[in-house]
Formats: sequence, structure tokens, C-alpha cells
Amino acid sequence: MRKSGRQMVGYFALAVCLALAGTAVVGGQPGSAQDKITVGIIPITDCAPIFLGKQKGFFAKYNLDVNIESAQGGAELVNPVVSGQREFGFSNVSSLLIAQTRGLDLVAISAGASSTGEQGRDFGAIVAPGDSPIKNAKDLEGKTVAVNNLNNIGDTSVNASVRAAGGDPSKVKYVELAFPAMPAALADKRIDAAWIVEPFLTITKEHGAKVVAWNLVDTSPRLMIAAYFTTRKYAKEHPDIVKRFQEAMKESLAYADSHNDEVRAIVPTFTRVSKEMIGKSTLPRWPTEMNIKSTQTLADLALKDGLLAKKPDLDAFFKLP
Amino acid sequence: MTWVRGIGGLIGLAIVLEAVPRSGAVSPLYFPPFSTIMVALAEEVERASFWSALGKTLESWALGLAIAVCAGAVIGIAIGSSALLRETTRSTIEFLRPIPSVALIPLVTLLFGTTLKSNLILVVYASFWQVLIQVLYGVQDVDPLARETARSYRLSRWEQIRYVIWPTTLPYLMTGVRLAAAVALILTITAELVIGTPGLGKELFLAQTSGAYEIMYVYVVVTGIIGVIVNVLARALERAVMPWHSSLRTEAMP
Repeated sequence: MRKSGRQMVGYFALAVCLALAGTAVVGGQPGSAQDKITVGIIPITDCAPIFLGKQKGFFAKYNLDVNIESAQGGAELVNPVVSGQREFGFSNVSSLLIAQTRGLDLVAISAGASSTGEQGRDFGAIVAPGDSPIKNAKDLEGKTVAVNNLNNIGDTSVNASVRAAGGDPSKVKYVELAFPAMPAALADKRIDAAWIVEPFLTITKEHGAKVVAWNLVDTSPRLMIAAYFTTRKYAKEHPDIVKRFQEAMKESLAYADSHNDEVRAIVPTFTRVSKEMIGKSTLPRWPTEMNIKSTQTLADLALKDGLLAKKPDLDAFFKLP
Repeated sequence: MTWVRGIGGLIGLAIVLEAVPRSGAVSPLYFPPFSTIMVALAEEVERASFWSALGKTLESWALGLAIAVCAGAVIGIAIGSSALLRETTRSTIEFLRPIPSVALIPLVTLLFGTTLKSNLILVVYASFWQVLIQVLYGVQDVDPLARETARSYRLSRWEQIRYVIWPTTLPYLMTGVRLAAAVALILTITAELVIGTPGLGKELFLAQTSGAYEIMYVYVVVTGIIGVIVNVLARALERAVMPWHSSLRTEAMP
């Protein structure tokens, strides 16, 4: 009996091996009138318009079957577009400029999300513990400030705030910390200040932190934070799909910007931000046109601060082939 | 009775996790007490997304482990049975084996993006060596006398593997499977967390980026529970496959 049991296990193992060996990669998709596109995004409020646009049928209207894939950010957004697994991606503008100066031929095709441009009411700010001696951005000199990514939009925009307040940004010490870890680090005073975005701005304010400056507003009026992009190669080969994506995005952005209640309803479906928290959060703005001027400002500042090794080619960045 | 003590240990851990945030040593806002996490877990299991994430994680884990075990066993026996192959592959194996699977993440995302394939490559790469090394040792451990006897009885190549090499190697293989099962789970969760392939790791990431701290801890606890279950299953498999092995026999101990 025992032996036959062992034989059974042996046969089972053999069967599993054979089944695995036989598993072929099944390719081919069912025929469809719509063009299938995949867009890589980050699961944050900034990306609400594309989800809303899909729900409202704006993409279907332009004959696009959009598949939204969320990534963890950074290279996981740019790489799949460059390698052709995804047609489009969403990324912050600074990262795209850096990628371009490193030789990746990317084109911005649609606005992503923008700062509100209002002092006192934006979705990102520099915060410090409530009892901190830091009163304004100039006081950040000699202090440790956390940003989510070094050499990116965080330090560029915080530097702009320090400059606007008459301080010397080279005296600020930056450390890298993920947004979710910032509220606890501020509460424990492991850092002196942080550039933080929603919903963590609301969370940390509720836990006693105070706003020191509105760095995105200080950088440029209506700063475009993020954009949708593709590769020049794809844009050259599929001008029609790119055009339709741009139109659908325009409608989605306009709809999101004018229907904040619907944005607040859809955010908890693709993130885990609670309904209560998104109700309290300040939303970004979603202008339909790309803000080339604010991107120029970002590029100039990054170059001045030495965050970019060379001047990015903005004409190429915004111009479709 | 060992399982009673094991459960006692878990209860102790739960008490510590409840007491530390309540004492104020760490902020309960960012490290909720154990009871709060359990309440959040009870709510979480009612969501369809929880079960689909669990399914995806178990799928990558099982598939990755199965490939690694099959490949490790077959290649291990093939290499182990030939002195020439053993000598020529030793340095290559020693070079490839210490490369951490996570170091392959940038390469894998470039090639396969956030697909199951990405997960599988990381999982198989990490767990394959665990199995291969054990099988190689197992084949080495075959009694030379048994090997010679089999040869003088003119057992065919297949019969030698089946009746001489396999019974000696099996305990080693099972150790490899147990080690690989744990490593495969770690790599599955890591891949989901870092690359963003669907599964428990991705849900954990999503909760983290959304500031849903309690839910984040729910997924930490769930991955821990799965780890325990995986280990229990691996032990049970060992017992089922080779009840004759001395490490599993208690009645005949001197």
C-alpha cells in the first residue's frame, strides 16, 4: 500500500512536470474594432481622469479600448513604454526630462495633473512639526528636508520656495523618504521638514504638522506636475492612435476638473484612500493643455541646481513627429 | 503537543503587538494595535479584491515552485550523475547562485512588465538553486556499493535512477522543496510589491501609498499567515512522501 502511495506521488509529480512543459504561451487576441492600448499609471489621485474617462466612455468614443495598468512609479513607468509593452505612460515631468537627457526619446502627448496654483490651497506642501522653529522656507537653511525622490521635482520645487523666501537653497540638506513614511518621521522629528502630497498632507496636518510653504505654487503658476507620454517611435508609427488618445484625454481631464465630486467617488476604487480621507483632501487641477512654460521653468531650475546634467530638448519633448 | 506550544508563542506575539502601541512606545497612528489590525482584517476578507489578490499570489507561488522543483530535480540528477558535468558546471553554478533574484527586477520589468512572467522568473530563479544544490548533494550521497551492485546487475540507466539514485536523493529533494517553498513565497510577495504585478504584495503597496496604514498591516499579517501554512504543508508533504525516513520516525528512536 505504502509503495503504491509513493508511486502515486511520483506519477503526480511527473504529470505536473508534463503539464508545465506543455503550457505554451497562448498568443493572439480576438478581433476587435477598437484599438487596444495600455496605459501605465500610478495609483494616485492625479490619475483619476483616465479612470473617469474610461468609465464615462470617452475612450470608447474615440475607438480606443484602454487598459489601465498601475505601476509602482519611476522606472516601472518609463521602461515598459520604452520596451513597447505599453503604448502610453504617466510620469512626473522632472523624471521625463531626466529620461530625455539620458537619451530616451520620449514625447509628452497630454497634460497629466497640475498644481492648483493657489497659495494656501494646493495638493502638495512643505510641512514641519507643529512646534518646529521653522516659520518659512528661508528657515529651511541648514535643516533636513525629506523628498520622495532625490534629484527630482521635490528638491527642485523646494529650492524654488527657499529662493522665493530669500534663502540659499544650497544650504538645505535633502534626504529621500517615501511619502507614506513622512508623517511618522515628522511626528518622531527624524526629519525637520518634508515635501508631502495628499492624502498624506491631510494626514500629517491632522496629526499636528504645519505648512511652511507651498513649493509647487512657488515654482511656477499652475505648474504641470505630470504628463502622459509615449516614445517618438510609437508616435511616428501610430499618429492616428496618439491623436485619438489625446482627444480622449482632453475630454477626461476637462470632465475631472469640473466634476470633483465624481473624482472623489472614483479615487477609492483604484487606490485604498478612504472616502473620508479623499473628501478632506485638496485635489490637483486638470488643465487640458500642457503647460510648456512651467516645464521650461522646471528644466531651467533643475539645470541651475545641477539636477540635470545637460539641457533637455523641450522642442523635441513637446513636438509630435 | 508541540503545536500547543506553537500557538502559545503566537498568542504571546499578539499580546506584545497589542501592548507596544498602547504603551505609547510607538505611535498607534502608524503602528496600530493588534486588535485594530484584526478588525481591519475581518473587513478586508469581505472584499472580492482580497481573494483575487490571494489567488494571484498563490498562483505565482505554486507555478514558480513547481517549475523550480521539476527543473532542479531533473537538472540536479543529470549533472550529479556525471562527473564531467559536475566539474564543468560547478564554477558556473557558484557564480549564478549568489545573485539575488531581486537584482533581476530592472531587467525583468524591461522584458515582461507587470505580468505573471516577471513574477515567475524571479521566483524560479531564487528557488531553483535551493532545489538544485540539495539534489546535487543527494546524488553525491548515493552509496557506492549500491551503485556498483546496480551496475553489476546490469540495471538500465533509468532503473539506476529509479531504484538507486532516487531513493537516496528524495530526502535531500524534500529539504530543497521545503526551503524553496519559503523562498518562492518571499520572492512572489517581493515581486508584487516592487514591480506591481497583481497579488497580495501589490495590495500592500496600494494600502501604503494610500495612507491606509491599518490595511497595510493587514496584508503584512496575511503574508505571515501564508508563510506559516506553506511551512506546515511542506512538512506534511515530507511526511507523506517518505514516512520511512529517520528524521520523521519517532517510534524507533534509540
